[in-house]
Amino acid sequence: MDNDRNRRLKHRAGLIWGNFGLPFIFILVLVFFAIQSPMFVSWRNLLSTFGFSSYIAIAAIGMTFIIMTGNFDISIGSMLALVAVLGSSFIPAIGGVLGVLSTIVLATLLGLVNGLFVTKLRIPAFITTLGMLFIFRALAYIYTNNFPVYIQDKFWLYIGNGKLFGVLPLPIVITAVCYIAAYLVLRRSPLGRYIVATGTNPRAAELSGINVDNVKMLAFALGGFFVGIAAVINSANMGAANPGLLGQNYEFQVITAVVLGGTLLGGGNGSLGGSLVAAMIITFLGNGMGILQVGSYWQLVATGLVMIIAVALNKLKFYLLGQGEL
Amino acid sequence: MVRFLKLYEKIGIFILIILGGVFLAFATPNFFKADTIFSIITQGTYGGIVAFGMVLAITSGGFDLSVDAVVALTSVMLAVTIPGLGVPSAIIVSILISCLVGFLNGVLITKFGVNPLITTLSMATIIRGVAFLITQGRQIPISQSGFMNIGTGKLWLIPYPIIIMAVLFIIFYLLLYQTSLGRYISAVGSNEGAAFISGLNVTFIKIMVYVLVAFTASIVGIIRTSQALIGIPSMAPGFTLTVLTITILGGTSLSGGKGNLIGAVFAGIFISMIYYGLNLLGVEYFYQMLAIGLVLIFALFIDGLRIRYLEVAKVKGIKV
Repeated sequence: MDNDRNRRLKHRAGLIWGNFGLPFIFILVLVFFAIQSPMFVSWRNLLSTFGFSSYIAIAAIGMTFIIMTGNFDISIGSMLALVAVLGSSFIPAIGGVLGVLSTIVLATLLGLVNGLFVTKLRIPAFITTLGMLFIFRALAYIYTNNFPVYIQDKFWLYIGNGKLFGVLPLPIVITAVCYIAAYLVLRRSPLGRYIVATGTNPRAAELSGINVDNVKMLAFALGGFFVGIAAVINSANMGAANPGLLGQNYEFQVITAVVLGGTLLGGGNGSLGGSLVAAMIITFLGNGMGILQVGSYWQLVATGLVMIIAVALNKLKFYLLGQGEL
Repeated sequence: MVRFLKLYEKIGIFILIILGGVFLAFATPNFFKADTIFSIITQGTYGGIVAFGMVLAITSGGFDLSVDAVVALTSVMLAVTIPGLGVPSAIIVSILISCLVGFLNGVLITKFGVNPLITTLSMATIIRGVAFLITQGRQIPISQSGFMNIGTGKLWLIPYPIIIMAVLFIIFYLLLYQTSLGRYISAVGSNEGAAFISGLNVTFIKIMVYVLVAFTASIVGIIRTSQALIGIPSMAPGFTLTVLTITILGGTSLSGGKGNLIGAVFAGIFISMIYYGLNLLGVEYFYQMLAIGLVLIFALFIDGLRIRYLEVAKVKGIKV
């Protein structure tokens, strides 16, 4: 009896943590920095930081899909740099709108290449994408000869810096649209159910007639697609596509966001909402540390620690829910 | 195809080295001098030595992405401790600290069940940050010029790094193929559950493996710091990729359970030949990045084919 009660208590704690843990941490972070610095709570800073969080949040959608199907993509930082320099260099030839489109299409294709390697050759994802991380970055350097591509196109710049109704930064709107679309795909379409099934039990999914390889490949392609959108926004924010600076440590931030958001490494069900809140937590942490003038070396240490803590918290949640061991 | 893959497994890396040698012989006037050849092999030892550790890690079914940061940490620790402790103690202290990093990796992976990718990637970020913090981002020169001997000295004609690699090779060879620990490592990599059920202390074995990887990385840190005589917190960026490439090109299968140390030595030399060739062409460093990435993908491709065809062969009952 006692054991049963214990288990139910644990389960409830797990549910509470799963539903309210992240927003609570987010509020904690906001309150902490608000006390430390009045500059942090200004509308201007909060709104622009929300805008910047799109950089991590959008790619976190694709990464959530990829991790749910049991893989990783650690090449996304270099992918972002490569497609940004390629797309922005096309602007003089094909114009801004097509430039943006080509950036997104290219990123989708690169994601698909990763997916092909992982599924058709059965090479573990981490090492394929580690190789691609270097290849994409090297190609970005070689293509531009290590010179940034300056972006003057109005449309491209508007996507990253424009404001809807003069107040709401456009990246926030784009992030919202992406999340709603992704939510519909994940929870209201067969594809979403295939993704969940593939992640939870690939063998069972295959036996019930799902083409597991295609689902995984599609997840990688979607990952690329969202990186493409983030590439346009990020390079527009910077005003230039710099082959060396764009997307440094990006894979790390995005994977941290997804894991902190409650998606289990190794596949299974995931949480898009969790990824979104976690992406904001990470962005606001970075912003706050910047305002408090924490040195970049400490920030490096902090990002690593946050990642490990995120994984530990995640394990704790699944343990409390009775779905895993500690 | 199966026969080709078996053949490649045995002699593939030698063919690559011969092809590379022929190419370099035509491209450079003084390739066949002892100096040139020794310098290529010496360059190859850096990746090769850490590849020994990585072979163990991959054989045990894991891997370690924090080796480049450990090299940098060793370099910084040496620069900081040599003035106070003297060279021998400083070397011992920095090796111990690196082993501690490996121990932490192992504990996080085994005791806390964190995925090796996440653990070692986070550890790499943290350690790199710590290395920068210790030196405040600066490079620290080392004034003890006797320390330089380790990386640049020669025994008769042979540079010390090659001798160090030879010694480590013998140690790791004996460890992997002649001791029970080596067999346990293979057993854990082939089938962790079975290894656990047959009473192996899987936790201890895995922690040991990560300590050994960090140990090899710290040896390379010592050699390279002694050559530069500077403690550099940003030392060896991208080194992890080189090491993984060498390990896989050397024939250690990513499916675990099967390590190839001799292959790692020669793959290290092959990678070093590529670097040498690219330096001759005078191209910029990002072409080296591209080359290593492409070689890695090639090696993965072969490994993927091997896993796939050997699986099919096994299903069909063909003896291989």
